[in-house]
Amino acid sequence: MTFTGLIGRVFMLPLRLIINTCVRLRIHPNTLTFIGVLINIAAAWALALGKFMTAGLIMVVANIFDFIDGKVAVELGEVSQFGGFWDSVIDRFSDLSLFIGLIYLYAQLGRTDYVMITALAMMFAIMTSYTRARAESIIKKCKVGFMERPERIVLFMIGAFTNRMAAVMWVILVLSVFTVADRIILTYRELRDARQVAA
Amino acid sequence: MKRAASLPARVLWNAFYWTYERATWQYDLMVVAILAFVWLTPPDWLNDPMASGCGPLGWVLAQLR
Repeated sequence: MTFTGLIGRVFMLPLRLIINTCVRLRIHPNTLTFIGVLINIAAAWALALGKFMTAGLIMVVANIFDFIDGKVAVELGEVSQFGGFWDSVIDRFSDLSLFIGLIYLYAQLGRTDYVMITALAMMFAIMTSYTRARAESIIKKCKVGFMERPERIVLFMIGAFTNRMAAVMWVILVLSVFTVADRIILTYRELRDARQVAA
Repeated sequence: MKRAASLPARVLWNAFYWTYERATWQYDLMVVAILAFVWLTPPDWLNDPMASGCGPLGWVLAQLR
């Protein structure tokens, strides 16, 4: 088993308990998604105040909700197209709020350089989701590139807990640029191949 | 005819054009590289607005000098 696979299994144990509790209480998955974004806004507030440790702890709680909503939906038999759409939209709000919290902090500190780095990281993080969503309306699957939402969220938490947010912003920015480029390349290739087959 | 790319070129291309799933050894390697960058790069090198100091890498370099 790989290192990251092992970490995933270890974290799955307490999450399983929370999922089972939510299923027993029959909490609607869309409600869990919405609670997640509210808690993420609180994390963004803590980031804006420069309270990274508090922000990290709040992010952990928020992302438990983010993670379990889909699993609870499956177990309750509440999987729906609207649920998927709602989850995607709310995830973008969560992402944006964290970035905006950091941008506010760096602006308060008068650090235009990191305001720009964080704003660019935010732009490419959103473009990562957009390129996939748009690509999958014209090709079958567009799941390439390293920097997806789970990676981004874990990096945010690592940055907050270890006070290394600047390095984290650089990583998110560079790898998000690559991810967007990967998705454009894949879509171009798939459409070109389909055209050649048709000709 | 297509020419086979050299190994370093292929490694670089595969790191850029990422198609590996999570929980593979390639993914683990990327995670280690990212964590090394985040934790070992001295905050001063990045002009970190919230952290300062040389970090572990700076400390090692200072010991070597």
